[in-house]
Amino acid sequence: MNVLLDVLLRAVVWLALAPLLPGIITKTKAWVAGRRGPPVLQLSYDLARLWRKGVVLSTLVSPGFVIGPAVAWVAVFGAALLLPLGALGTGLGFEGDVLLFVYLLALARFCTAWAAMETGSAFEGMGAAREVSYAVLSEAAIIAAVLALCVQSGSTSLVAMLTPAAGAGAVLLAAGLFVVLLAENCRVPFDDPNTHLELTMIHEVMVLDHSGPPLAVILHGASVKLLLFAVFLTEAVLPMGSLTPLAATGALAASVLVVTLATGMTESLLARFAFRRVPLLLTVGFLLCLFALLFAWRGGPA
Amino acid sequence: MSPGFLLTSAFAAASASLVVGARYSRTWLALVVCAAAATLAAAFRVLLGTTDWEWRSNFAIGGEAAHLRLDGVSAVFLVLLCVVAAAGAVYGREYWSDAREPGSAPRGRIAWSAMVLNMGLALLCSNGLHFLVAWELFTLSAYFLIRLDDRRRPARSAAWLYLAASHVASLCLFAFFGVLAARTGSWDLGPMLEHAELAPLFWLVLLGFGVKAGFFPLHVWLPSAHSNAPSHVSGILSGVAIKMGIYGIVRFSGWLVVPPGAGWVVLGLGAGSALVGITFAFAQNDLKRLLAYCSVEHVGVILIGVGGALLAVAHDNAAWGRLALAGALLHVWNHGAFKALLFFCSGSVVHATGTREMSRLGGLWRAMPWTATLFALAAIAVAGLPPLNGFVSEWLLYLGLFDAAALRSAAAWAVLPVAIVLAMAGALALATFVKAGTIVFFGAPRTQVARHAHECGPLMRGPMLVLAGACIALALAPAVLWPALARAVGAWNPAWIGAEPPAALDRLGWTHVVLAGVAVLVALVLVRRVRANGTRRGPTWDCGFAEPTPRMQYTSGAFAGIVGGWSAWLLRTESRYRRPRGAFPARSERVERVPEMVLEHVLAPTGGALVRVALAARKLQHGRLQAYILYLVLGLAGVALIVYFGGAP
Repeated sequence: MNVLLDVLLRAVVWLALAPLLPGIITKTKAWVAGRRGPPVLQLSYDLARLWRKGVVLSTLVSPGFVIGPAVAWVAVFGAALLLPLGALGTGLGFEGDVLLFVYLLALARFCTAWAAMETGSAFEGMGAAREVSYAVLSEAAIIAAVLALCVQSGSTSLVAMLTPAAGAGAVLLAAGLFVVLLAENCRVPFDDPNTHLELTMIHEVMVLDHSGPPLAVILHGASVKLLLFAVFLTEAVLPMGSLTPLAATGALAASVLVVTLATGMTESLLARFAFRRVPLLLTVGFLLCLFALLFAWRGGPA
Repeated sequence: MSPGFLLTSAFAAASASLVVGARYSRTWLALVVCAAAATLAAAFRVLLGTTDWEWRSNFAIGGEAAHLRLDGVSAVFLVLLCVVAAAGAVYGREYWSDAREPGSAPRGRIAWSAMVLNMGLALLCSNGLHFLVAWELFTLSAYFLIRLDDRRRPARSAAWLYLAASHVASLCLFAFFGVLAARTGSWDLGPMLEHAELAPLFWLVLLGFGVKAGFFPLHVWLPSAHSNAPSHVSGILSGVAIKMGIYGIVRFSGWLVVPPGAGWVVLGLGAGSALVGITFAFAQNDLKRLLAYCSVEHVGVILIGVGGALLAVAHDNAAWGRLALAGALLHVWNHGAFKALLFFCSGSVVHATGTREMSRLGGLWRAMPWTATLFALAAIAVAGLPPLNGFVSEWLLYLGLFDAAALRSAAAWAVLPVAIVLAMAGALALATFVKAGTIVFFGAPRTQVARHAHECGPLMRGPMLVLAGACIALALAPAVLWPALARAVGAWNPAWIGAEPPAALDRLGWTHVVLAGVAVLVALVLVRRVRANGTRRGPTWDCGFAEPTPRMQYTSGAFAGIVGGWSAWLLRTESRYRRPRGAFPARSERVERVPEMVLEHVLAPTGGALVRVALAARKLQHGRLQAYILYLVLGLAGVALIVYFGGAP
């Protein structure tokens, strides 16, 4: 019963708080640019509006076009539930769940790209091709980061991996994971979430043909994914295990906010990179995680 | 019923099917399915029981007493053989029917029986001589199956290539079994761990069975053979025949002492094969060639597990070695199930449209909803994504590698890069199957043939559904399988007998069930919501482009363009581009071909150079007697000089 309550509580936290993050980022950007900006809850309003709207479907698409976003949302949400949330430890964890975590994110990518390709649009094909190709590099970075945590903690379950401090490689790991966060969540400098008709974007272009409730599910899933990466980054770096539960929760919330603000600042201060430099930046992210892995390997007790 | 009785009746049924196959296709089918069912029962009895089945004849065949043995390792492969052989036989009855192919269908049935029978015998034979005979017969019958469609030139040359490659491998195997028999004084096979001096023979095993397994760079025959064979044959070739190579490697790495570096080499070959294989697969434009290269990847994944296990033996780490080997063996089953399913799906596409070229297909899901759904399912499985079976075995493998890393053992130097390579290969596999599935089945039909496709009939659909069911069952109840896997692991290395199931395996199975359930639930809610809100249908928006045509869709080549650019040095894609010219261009085209790199850029030049050297040497032989006498004199003089100057010590 306790486990069930724990899971329910965490589900509520994830689903309710996630839509705030894109709002905070937009607010930050508006603040830097000297504008007032939309309210933090804007995404929630949008989601509610989209949920009530009708849907325009392409004549070419199969039912998979609607099922795909649903499965992707479930996958991201499932991955989120595997992460511990400060005082709310995970009741679902098991040895090796970290791989389930990584592969659930891959499943979400598969479904989004598949649904995009169903429309037969060259535009969306381009976006899907970019998404799945760059994922090769970000997947390598994530696995290197996860291996670093695994070597550090001597365990393969997320709860145990995320409790100790990341040790000497913490800074490298944080930088590497931050690059991956930006790439996987389609933020500047990889992608510009504000554009809709640019040839250089990755993620946004895949959802061009979605509308109504499926689009709401996609947007909500994307915000959960952003929160998920922020939480993962924070817990990978901070020594959550050595804090009291209350302090851990507070530290988690504060650092997620910091990561979100940092994302907003990055977006304000950087322009989107030229397209051919995207793989280079991702490779840098991978190398940062790899060096963190080597640090974990050489340093620390066996 | 004892395994002996079951296997005898299966042997009788399979032999009878050889005889009646040409004339009576229905009887043949019944016999093949019965033989498969009986063998399956025997294999499961051994896998779930505690004792092996062993039989020695009191008569000699070819001078040697027959010795059959069914233990955990061979039972795993036998199970796969039975399932795919029966499914393929049923599928082939409609796909390669007497009505459509009156010339070759009877021949195909006999070759099928012969191949399946000899694969089964090779798995059971515990006598080197008999093993070689069965292996050679299996190789030959596969040759006849590949060139079933021998009116087409590519099929004939693919079969020749296969035959040549297989015989290079056979040569290694003859040498291996010959030396083994000479050193041990008997053709009998079994654990020979006391013969430490036999360790170098492992390299012959790796080469001889490696060609059949088709890992990079020994895969040269694989893409053309798998893509040009009829699809039910491709299914069994990819699902089972290449696993016979894996069987050989697993079998003899368990029975023989392996050289110290074996684990590192196998692990390296596996990782290289996984990454290179899937890179080539992603670049293909031919659906069946893509699947064939993907098999190269999965053989690599299996080898990673085997290499990990060898490394664990060398470093005496039972815990993670067990996991890696169990993952590899489970991946043998999984790959057999989903790859056979994928080839059957592609066969259904070829059956309906007559082309394998992805750029000529598209939008097939409307006409072929079953095939499209099953292909999507298999695509998730083959990309190793939860909640399907591909993930379970890759998870076990990863868990083995991660445990090795967590221990910080010396083996981790190998394990860390391999885990990263495996992740990249996984991401590429995802990309490959998003491309294959959606280009073929979705979007608008690109040509007339795609527009007039039709769904396959019940005899083709049935086996596909059975294989899909196997994929789902393997995914949702992995913990049930553990005793079978543990038994095979114990048969490989007796020191690892009695492995406890990893507690997490059960949790993973339940997580899969919950995940699948929730996904279905959420999908239903979303579909209902969409219906309730009302839908309108319109053309694909495509940023408001007014007159899209099917030819403007993204192509398979374009989809693979980014990764193709990164790996251009490896792929060496050849493209021919005729630009549109003038104010009213008549015709322009761009044709891309990804050559088989090892074959066309390594083997062909080497072979050409050898032939040139041989031709040059042939000038010495011209039939002029006086010159021959000169050679003799020169030779004699040379010998005399050596004797004179070399001198006695």
